[in-house]
Amino acid sequence: MHNILNSKKITQMAKDLFKEERAKTRVDGWFLAREIVCNKQDEFKNLSKEMRAARELTAILTELPLTISDNAVFAGSQSDAFARSYALINPAFKVETFSGYCDPTAVYNDIEPNDEFTVDRINRVREFAKNSEYVKKLSAVYDAYENYTEEVAFFIEQVTGHIIPDFRPALKYGLKNIISTLDEKISAENDALKKDNFAAIKLTLEATIMLAGRYADIAAKKAATAKGEQKDKFLKLEKTLRKVPGHPAESLYEAIQSYMLLWQVMCLEQAPNPFAFSVGNADRIFEPYRQMSNENREQAAALLKHFLVFFNVGDRSWAISQNLLISGRDTDGNDLTNDTSFALMDAYFDMNLPQPILSVKLHKNSPDILYKELGRFFFSPGVLTPSLFNDDSVFEILKARGVDEADLADYSVAGCQEPLIMGKDNGNTTNSWLNCPKVLELCLNGGYSMITGKEIEKQDTPDALTLLKNIREIFYTTLEKYIDKMCDAANGASRAVAELPVPFLSGFMGGTQSGYDMRDTLNQGTKYNGSGCLIHGLSVMADSFIAIDKLLTERPEDAENLINALKNNFEGYEELHSFLKSAPKFGNNIPEVDNEAAEIAAKISDMVSSHKNYLGNPFRADWASPTTHLTYGYWVAATPDGRVAREQLNYGVDPLYGEASGGMGFRMLSNMHLPFEKMGGGYASHLGVDPKFFTAPDNQGKGADFATRIVKPLFFNDAMKGRISPFYLYVNVTTPETLRKVLAEPKKYAPSGVYIMRIHGTFVNFLDLSPEIQQDIIKRLDLASTTI
Amino acid sequence: MQLKIFGKGFNYSQDGPGNRLVYHLSGCNMHCPWCSNPEGMKPSGSEPPYPIKDIYNEILSSSPMFFEGGGVTFTGGEATLQPKPLLALLKMLKGANINTCIETNGTSPDLPQLFEFLDHLIIDFKHPDSIKLKQITGIGNETIKQNILAAKNYGIDTLVRIPLIGGFNDDCPLDFAEFLKTANAKNLKVEILKYHEYGKDKWKKLGLDYKMQNAFVTDEQVIRLKETLKSNQINIINT
Repeated sequence: MHNILNSKKITQMAKDLFKEERAKTRVDGWFLAREIVCNKQDEFKNLSKEMRAARELTAILTELPLTISDNAVFAGSQSDAFARSYALINPAFKVETFSGYCDPTAVYNDIEPNDEFTVDRINRVREFAKNSEYVKKLSAVYDAYENYTEEVAFFIEQVTGHIIPDFRPALKYGLKNIISTLDEKISAENDALKKDNFAAIKLTLEATIMLAGRYADIAAKKAATAKGEQKDKFLKLEKTLRKVPGHPAESLYEAIQSYMLLWQVMCLEQAPNPFAFSVGNADRIFEPYRQMSNENREQAAALLKHFLVFFNVGDRSWAISQNLLISGRDTDGNDLTNDTSFALMDAYFDMNLPQPILSVKLHKNSPDILYKELGRFFFSPGVLTPSLFNDDSVFEILKARGVDEADLADYSVAGCQEPLIMGKDNGNTTNSWLNCPKVLELCLNGGYSMITGKEIEKQDTPDALTLLKNIREIFYTTLEKYIDKMCDAANGASRAVAELPVPFLSGFMGGTQSGYDMRDTLNQGTKYNGSGCLIHGLSVMADSFIAIDKLLTERPEDAENLINALKNNFEGYEELHSFLKSAPKFGNNIPEVDNEAAEIAAKISDMVSSHKNYLGNPFRADWASPTTHLTYGYWVAATPDGRVAREQLNYGVDPLYGEASGGMGFRMLSNMHLPFEKMGGGYASHLGVDPKFFTAPDNQGKGADFATRIVKPLFFNDAMKGRISPFYLYVNVTTPETLRKVLAEPKKYAPSGVYIMRIHGTFVNFLDLSPEIQQDIIKRLDLASTTI
Repeated sequence: MQLKIFGKGFNYSQDGPGNRLVYHLSGCNMHCPWCSNPEGMKPSGSEPPYPIKDIYNEILSSSPMFFEGGGVTFTGGEATLQPKPLLALLKMLKGANINTCIETNGTSPDLPQLFEFLDHLIIDFKHPDSIKLKQITGIGNETIKQNILAAKNYGIDTLVRIPLIGGFNDDCPLDFAEFLKTANAKNLKVEILKYHEYGKDKWKKLGLDYKMQNAFVTDEQVIRLKETLKSNQINIINT
């Protein structure tokens, strides 16, 4: 492409392409896709599930309207796979009304009827969806467990997206080669199910080549009427699309084009819920091709800018939580940062888009230049900040989880922070969600909600003093019962989603070897499999147990009062409230509460991971709360630590905001107590950092100081002496005052309309967020907990 | 034994090298009107005293954060106003190989007794004229000078800090140099701190009158003092 357009022009086109995408206030492609499937229902009704899915995808790829923008240098779009649904970037989002994504047909409310998409037309497809086996099964699960999910003692969901496909073989050998291999397998296979599955995968790969052909025809048509560079560009594009992904890619340009089409098909297969698909180490995926075509850093970055724009859908970048990694190490400790790593950083920095999320894998011997180059991200206001992973720890944790040595370097991040092996791991990462403080509330109130008075699950309760004296035992015993139910429900959701096989994706998740669909609940299609459980409320629990201890030691006569105070949200119990607030809190390097948190984390992680999913594989303990610290906190009454009713829970493994006031040093020390080795499903942690502590004259210097003062003490601290160090962090480097100014005068502080901030594992345009989420970001900066 | 403490927290490189756990000890014998920690001036803060054993344990448990040559720093208020427990704690810390530092106004005649247990000393030299210093802060500089010279002779790593305050000490660079050249040695460095008002709000919150006015100094004044000291071969640093 650089023979036709220089880097500057390619960059400008990428920026214009993004503007075009942001101007789209409707994304209706997903509906068209579902309508195409709806129209084919009679034709496909006698097919096997797998083959039906393959034929449905083929129909979508055949019939979906396609375009190529004049600003594009690549063909392909994922805009037809997503709905305008994701709650947090929806301005109408309200904590008090958000009830999770229980209704799989609710998405049909997100398409606004007009002359083209009439109410009748929408309802017809909605009805078709409602009558599907998938929706029937899933609804049955939600109905059965509604009593528990309504006030979120736990929550469950069917997991779509949240996978890292391995497209490397397709780039390297081409789909035609894979199809040939499948042909051999089909003829050699005796097992009817596998034979059918192989055939279904083959069909979707053929349909992908056909899709490339459709795009090539469009490119040819545009070339016919275009002039000069545009003509040459479209001719080049046509030629490329006739080649990839059917044949091997032999340049960076071809590799990116091939990858984009594969990604598009993967998303369309799961429309309208392909959230949180992730790329993995894009630098390692593309570097071999960059070497073939020998682009320099600037040229590679220019092409990669178009790659990044591809991940943005519509006016608010609705495709959320798509994670892209760079850097990291191999199992021998060799650093794997390459030229494409730096080109990607340049592309990210220059474009500053809301998607895809950038994550950086670090290790003890990460090169200094990497930290220096990261400085510009952390210290430029409104610019995306990458999340950081510690390979040295993640490798050990994954090994303990049973991952083969050879697969370790291929760990990637699904969505926010959950480590999975690219192409080999179906982790069902967001399958179940456990609200520990809600369970504590129920334990303290005989199984009745203190919020609504509703009976969740009645339990015998002794007198207040006995209850408080035995609170740990009572809590853990009760929690076990809730986890049992939660896992049953979660497995039910997984069985429901198995009604929607994914032959195309299975082809890049080990299905061409195993012969099984990756969603099959009876036969394991991927090398690794598990189900996620996001565990909420670690520090609220630790602080609560310690506050109860303090009460029992100093004023046991107030046991009954404590229960009443909680029921009344401390109204009329102000003195007792102050007493509880004054008890030691996690995050201040106070051994008794830090050790309590460590014990809670260890115990609950063990409890969760002793439960089995639909294939008999463990649930994975993931101490993350992607904004659910807000939505779940809303359903939790006052807690013994002094937290008031409906207030948010602590985020991930962090202290509750406002409770750790001793600065970064103490916070990190408390953090070091936690058993990260047991958090195999991941965990979340955030630091709001005041830029004033970094006074180096330039961003490179600040990046180096950031490594010295934050990253290395946290991730690579010799004092951990063989224990597993923390392995995840995201930061927002700013102050509440700055963010308030941005909100008050967006045109002044974010003239482009984009001001990127991090929220849980993803980054988002701060200005796109609903007001409650904006305020949460401001609140949780909690700068007193991070002074340096 | 117990220490009265009114604040603690980590600080990177400004109160000694590396990342340090800094304890603010209650009480001060000077009354500098520009003080940025006025809450530490009174000797009997409302805070409960802490047994030095607890502080010792906290410091030990904090050692994973003593990166880049960090450790613990005792400041104030004025750290040397609680000499016995401070000395005892410093002895314990040296026994545990913890890097130690105190930041002091230098007015304690017993200060040199601590040197054996210190890796770093940060000492203020606020004014070369003892009378003027006494007028404003209540104490002259004779002992301070003796202590700086004692530190030079002992060989302890010493940072002399000059808070440069408009209308107080911004007109006497030659006098600063006059004394500091007598103290000059390899182990001694000097830092100039420009007047700031970070503590102003604290005064108000404590119901105290913040009397400083027009005390900001210009960069030129700082440079003038620096150049004067440098011309006397005094080692100037910025932390």
